[in-house]
Amino acid sequence: MKRTWGLQLACLAVTAFFGVPLYLIALAAFASRESLDRFPLSLLPTDVSAETITTFLGSTGVVGGYLNSLMVGLSTVVLALLVGVPAGYALARYAFRGRDPYQLFLLLTRALPIVVLSVPLARIFLQTGLYDTTYAVTLLHTALALPTTVLITSAVFVGVPREHEEAAQVFGASPVRAFARVVLPQALPGIAAVAMFTFVLSWNEVLGATILTLNQRTLPAHVLTTLSDSPLAYRFAGGLALVGPAIVFVAVMRRYLLNMWGTTLR
Amino acid sequence: MTNEARATRRALLQAALAAPMLAACGGVSTSGAGGAGSVNFLSTQFTPVEERQRFEKILADKVTSAKVGYNPVDNSTFATTLRTQVEAGKVQVNLVGGLHGDLAPLGDKLMDLDDLAGSLTDRGFAADLIELGKLGGTTTKYIPWMQATYMLAVNKKALQWLPAGADVQKLTYDQFLSWMTAAKAGNGGKPVFGLGAGPKGLYHRFFQGFLLPSFTGGQITTFRSAEAVTAWEYMKELWGQTAPASTNYDFVQEPLQRGEVLVGFDHVARLATAPKDKPDEWLMVPAPSGPKGLGYMLVIAGLGIPKGAPDADKAKEVIRTLTTPPVQTEVLRQNAFFPVVKADLPGDLPAAIGLEAKAVAAQQSATSAIVSLPPVGLGAKDGEVSQIFKDTFKAICLDGKPVKATLDAQATKLNGILDELKVTCWKPDPTGSPCRAA
Repeated sequence: MKRTWGLQLACLAVTAFFGVPLYLIALAAFASRESLDRFPLSLLPTDVSAETITTFLGSTGVVGGYLNSLMVGLSTVVLALLVGVPAGYALARYAFRGRDPYQLFLLLTRALPIVVLSVPLARIFLQTGLYDTTYAVTLLHTALALPTTVLITSAVFVGVPREHEEAAQVFGASPVRAFARVVLPQALPGIAAVAMFTFVLSWNEVLGATILTLNQRTLPAHVLTTLSDSPLAYRFAGGLALVGPAIVFVAVMRRYLLNMWGTTLR
Repeated sequence: MTNEARATRRALLQAALAAPMLAACGGVSTSGAGGAGSVNFLSTQFTPVEERQRFEKILADKVTSAKVGYNPVDNSTFATTLRTQVEAGKVQVNLVGGLHGDLAPLGDKLMDLDDLAGSLTDRGFAADLIELGKLGGTTTKYIPWMQATYMLAVNKKALQWLPAGADVQKLTYDQFLSWMTAAKAGNGGKPVFGLGAGPKGLYHRFFQGFLLPSFTGGQITTFRSAEAVTAWEYMKELWGQTAPASTNYDFVQEPLQRGEVLVGFDHVARLATAPKDKPDEWLMVPAPSGPKGLGYMLVIAGLGIPKGAPDADKAKEVIRTLTTPPVQTEVLRQNAFFPVVKADLPGDLPAAIGLEAKAVAAQQSATSAIVSLPPVGLGAKDGEVSQIFKDTFKAICLDGKPVKATLDAQATKLNGILDELKVTCWKPDPTGSPCRAA
């Protein structure tokens, strides 16, 4: 009994740790601008006004930026899983020459900061004609996400017993079908975790998106400079607008996430 | 988890998987333009949400020759974008606008605009602005766009503590200090002076363009002179009479509006909303003057066209429109940036801007005026040089380090940056190469 109390308290503390900042941002985003100038600020919604947030959402390109960000984020998730899951499976199931160097090599894409790569990257995309499209940003984000995708999914597939696969094949399933029907469902939590990770990475990435686009920016690339130079009220409104979709995505994917560490529950 | 909920979740996921199909068009425009025939305008100005919206409205209303997609970015993105596009030979930006310091390092990426400048003689640009637009060369690289400066906003409540014999419109630094000291004492020990020393504040411009030129006549060359020691000693005393919360102020108009401070120093565009509610209670006054004169910083923005830009003619049309007096006064009315052309200021300006306009004129026409520019030609190192001034302030005023030793240490750092760049000095320092702290 005592332990459950302690557990409850711990859960509440963790929730508060993540929830309170969100509450405060939402509160400030929906407060009137005059009330933000008051001191001390009230911790309850006493002076609700949607003026700042509607102005922000109505400003040029915010809706377009939202759409672009969603497209890039979801396309990145799909592409990174399409490439990364088979690679992770190969790493988990087959011993091939150069496996360890390959794993290390994967991490190299994250070894160079984008700042260093920005000019050559932009030039390549300019010359191929992909500059200023969501494809360019998707490709970049996929490249950035692949190391984590491959390494996490390979750890997940290691956790799925090979006997299950073999049993399926004994009953006449083709290797592909055995993978799709037996291995994949067991690996789903891990893959969901990877998907969240990838989406949030893409949603948060600013620098690459800023350099590769001009008129079709993703939301963070579009508003970040603007917000950092804007009055306080807009920073809260923009902050809330930026946080929202990532939270929704995580909430949707949560069901597939049985535990955090990418292993299946047996 | 009911079946129904599961079904909607599945539908959601399916919709999510379908989203990439939407991407078939390569994205949605976020700048209100970007199609064929529109002018892509890349700029470092008007980044704040409201300023941007107001400027976009001006573009939409006044520029009839083409649709303009306005893209405000920070100055490092600005430089990277322009460089890569010109070097790759695939330019998509037709028009660039930035501060003199943003454009100066990119002079070789900009088209010569002599023909355009020649056709704009009726605008009445000041000769030294035209000279600045040549970026030290012989051909025009940018056309002046607008100008701004910094000044003091004074709530009339603070005038009760003004020392006898001091004229608020013609303060000296010493008078200003004794005023602020008296005001703090009279206000129950609460300082009334606010400086934009927050993370995004522009307080380094106060040292670069006002305090140091007024005391030393220079900005960089005199960085560790005896006069600079005097200036920083002064700053230390002034900081003692300044609201300590200044280290959180990005826009001084906000604490002024809240009544947290009564006197504030900042960029004109960052003071404009302070008197909005009760303009009669406010004064806008020129910066104080020091032993060498009234040092003030001229912020000048210009418009250029990248080499190899598509539709350069359309971009030139846009420049022509943006430099007409009606558009210039409209930008002043909306965004508090002052005209660079001969324009009669209309009588119906917002009160705050009218107040500022008088102070700008007084500051520029002062007999002892010393003009300085924000650092020129530092490119990516611009932030580092500004950081030197911020660090100096932090060491001397916040950490109480000895002035002379701090200046020597910071001058060494400053010269480290400048020796690498080998740039010539900008106003108020004598133009000679290369620029470094003596």
